[in-house]
Amino acid sequence: MRLSPPLFSAPFNKSARRPQREPVPFQMLLPLELKKTVSGKGDKLREAACMQEMAIMFACFKKNDFNQQECLKEVTAFQGCYREYSDKVATQREQGKKGILVPGEKKLTHRQLNQLLKAFPPKK
Amino acid sequence: MRNLTNQLLLFKKYIHELNSFRAVIQSRCYSRPTSFPDYFQNPIFRKEDQLKLIENNELSKLASVPIKPPAVYETSSVYHDPLVNKVINHVMEEGKKKLARSLVEKAFENIKRIQIERYHLATTPEQKSKIVLNPKEILHTAIENCKPLLQLTPIKRGGITYQVPGPITEKRSLFLAIKWLLEAANEKERTVHFPEQFAWELLDAANNTGKVVKRKQDLHRQCEANRAYAHYRWQ
Repeated sequence: MRLSPPLFSAPFNKSARRPQREPVPFQMLLPLELKKTVSGKGDKLREAACMQEMAIMFACFKKNDFNQQECLKEVTAFQGCYREYSDKVATQREQGKKGILVPGEKKLTHRQLNQLLKAFPPKK
Repeated sequence: MRNLTNQLLLFKKYIHELNSFRAVIQSRCYSRPTSFPDYFQNPIFRKEDQLKLIENNELSKLASVPIKPPAVYETSSVYHDPLVNKVINHVMEEGKKKLARSLVEKAFENIKRIQIERYHLATTPEQKSKIVLNPKEILHTAIENCKPLLQLTPIKRGGITYQVPGPITEKRSLFLAIKWLLEAANEKERTVHFPEQFAWELLDAANNTGKVVKRKQDLHRQCEANRAYAHYRWQ
């Protein structure tokens, strides 16, 4: 008689592939506490900068048939806004990289947070 | 007349921004590792930049820092123009810089010839004063006119890729302007030589007309059409 091989590999009671029996014993693989650091994965949020200025510029462009010469004021406002924004982001990144803590800063980077956590470790 | 004053204003603005602009162009970023470690600073080879350093009392700081030697094209000559160097490097193929430089210089010569012809054809001194004879000035205004203000970035939301408009960095907009100008210049009959076509493209762009300015405006139009997606940049 020919037996099909899947029959032998089926999850029997002794096999590791059997359905689990309740109650499942708890196994502690890692200590049950929070880490003393935070990872930087959630920091990659990009905010939309200069939306207001862009909308104004678009309105002017539409009025003047996309002639940039007629909208110099709006264009400079938009560019100035973006330059300010990128400068701000650059300094923030710089300070965040070094982990420099700015007093009164509400939004901390993960490096700054780690700096704080290092200085004041969470109590057990 | 208003157009002209606007252009003058734009040029003045350009002169004003030249310093920040220079910083964009002059920073030498090597794509592959060089013999110079990271802490080597870029050389400051322009007299006016050095004077500025002396004014700000930053020279003593640099005295103790190792600095790269200037490249052959980085001179303190009055003819040195970082933007022209940039364009030459963009024209260059397979490292043939001598050829690239000769092509750009030939284009400048063509511009000069065309403008001088226009100058002599103009009858009144008022018309004559309007004509810009300096080809480098024309290159600067042309590139300034071709620089896009916005860019479209593809962002995937719910399986659909949206083209989202957003601001563009100074460096990228300069790159796009030069690239578009060269693409327009290379789109020609085989019998027309590159310097000739490039000269025409530059003159057109400096006059705020032509293929490249239209391309920029088309990009702006598309950005305007997609402005509803602008908030996707946020999420």
